[in-house]
Amino acid sequence: MIIDGAGRLAKGPALLLIMGAALMVSVVSITNGAYPLTAGDILGVVIGDLNDEVARMVLFDVRLPRLVLGFLVGAVLAVCGAILQGLFRNPLADPGLIGVSAGASLAAIAVIVLGGTWLGGWLDLAGAWALPIAAFIGGSGTVFLAWRIASRAGHTSVATLLLAGIAINAIAGAGTGLLTFYSSDEELRSLTFWTMGSLGHAAWDDVAMAAPWLLLSLCAAPFLARPLDAFLLGEQVVGHLGYNTDWTKRAAILIAGLGVGASVAVSGLIGFVGLVVPHLVRHTLGAGHRIVIPASALAGGTLLVGADCLARIVVAPAELPIGLMMALIGGPFFLLLLLRTRIA
Amino acid sequence: MRLMVLMALSAVFLSFATLTEAAQPRIVSADGSITETVYALEAQGSLVGVDTTSNYPAQVQSLPKVGYLRALPFEGVLSLRPDMLLTTVEAAPDRTLERLSQAGVDVIKLPVARSPADTMARIREVGRILGKQAQANAIIDDIRTRVERIPLASEGNSVRVLFLMAAGNHGVMIAGKDTAADALLKALGASNAMAEVTGYKPANREALLASQPDAIVVAESRPGQFDITQWPQLAALDAWKQGRHYVGDSMLLLGFGPRLPQAMEEVASMLGQVGPVASNDH
Repeated sequence: MIIDGAGRLAKGPALLLIMGAALMVSVVSITNGAYPLTAGDILGVVIGDLNDEVARMVLFDVRLPRLVLGFLVGAVLAVCGAILQGLFRNPLADPGLIGVSAGASLAAIAVIVLGGTWLGGWLDLAGAWALPIAAFIGGSGTVFLAWRIASRAGHTSVATLLLAGIAINAIAGAGTGLLTFYSSDEELRSLTFWTMGSLGHAAWDDVAMAAPWLLLSLCAAPFLARPLDAFLLGEQVVGHLGYNTDWTKRAAILIAGLGVGASVAVSGLIGFVGLVVPHLVRHTLGAGHRIVIPASALAGGTLLVGADCLARIVVAPAELPIGLMMALIGGPFFLLLLLRTRIA
Repeated sequence: MRLMVLMALSAVFLSFATLTEAAQPRIVSADGSITETVYALEAQGSLVGVDTTSNYPAQVQSLPKVGYLRALPFEGVLSLRPDMLLTTVEAAPDRTLERLSQAGVDVIKLPVARSPADTMARIREVGRILGKQAQANAIIDDIRTRVERIPLASEGNSVRVLFLMAAGNHGVMIAGKDTAADALLKALGASNAMAEVTGYKPANREALLASQPDAIVVAESRPGQFDITQWPQLAALDAWKQGRHYVGDSMLLLGFGPRLPQAMEEVASMLGQVGPVASNDH
């Protein structure tokens, strides 16, 4: 029995289904790209028969890190979305709400625009990593700032956190706007491309830089499943069920801040995954976080890798920004789901 | 170990490159005015791909596009199996360029041209790289003669020109200092009516009225993109009413490529209607 009475998929088969999809997009992602490689070439490179250094480079140093990073980033964005939606008890919550994207954008544009002048020292110090590290600090820093503002005497008010997030978003947005105004044409184009997100420049050192944070938040997230289930029943219930409310909030914010901060740092702004994937999962598998979190991770990774495949194939040899691709695929799909629910 | 792999790699590619060079090198050009230069040198047979800023001459549209020169995709460029990526220092991201040269592509970053002298130097350099020195010299001679013939607005009584960029349907940007537009005005001996602004900034309609320029130049990224009926403030300026305006393609005006003399001649002939004009005798 795959579908239960409420029209939801049984959890085991559903998870297997998503894993199958994940495997499929991974294969598609490895075998497709602008550089022409036949299945035979790929097999040859993998088993070491084919001595083609460029094919090897395309496969192992371009497509593979891109696949790994895409999957991790997609998984983290979706899981953090699920956690924040649970924490805020609001299906519209996404990491952008508590300031990650705004903070990271502000830091990124500061590096792009002020890199030649005020922030020259930072550029000398961090080199090629100046932008990703700044974006990580900016993104995570804003989240912690919002959290500090919302916390008093060891208690965090979720409502204040939300409002603080909105205010910080506005301030960071104004800062970004101001720097945009002072930017040159070229800086502006760089920023525009950054805000649309890309996995196109992923190399193994990007993976190495981001993976610890991404894995940390992926591994820590399942521990929040039961307390978050309790959150769905109301904040008081959490305490009654024996979970520490403030500890849960703190952990959720820490996971989201670090995870999304690291994602944004290596791939730019990729919207939509964090909002829609948990929705889809809840819709098809039910609202329990013990299933929502792992299923969101798998589905988020799958979706992002799938979108990335299209992004690099559709206009090859050029590439579309992945954020754009994500919205193009996800938007209509989400609408369809809404319409079907309304009819049912 | 890594060094050895790299050396082996480059050895493989060097031999590969010399083999194909005997026929014709495969070149990806990532910059509009460099692409124009390649065509002007009649080396377009070597082009296997261009970036999105390359839109002249029209035949360039049939070549594969590798995206924007500030966001070059590694695999996309490599898929065209180029021997050489011909671009400017504006090309990005740096790590993609590094990896391309690791993959055996000869990445050549030329300086950005901001004066007739730069333009000629860059054409000479491209000619040298492509082995078309004779053609390059002919083009440079032509540019030099034509540029010298262009009347310069006199230094003391300089013509104030308002330079606008029309991109997209909304709004117009004013070109301040540190822009290619400003450099073009300098080459013509005219002064920028918006010299207090740096870079391209959104136009303030009142400031347009207040600027009272002697002439107006509009660079549009697509033909017909600039519609004067949407800009009553501009149409109200004396310069516009008296016909001292020029609307032209932005690549022609701002590219500082082989079409630079044409751009300068066209703007100069419009400016020629303005104020005292001294002949250029440098």
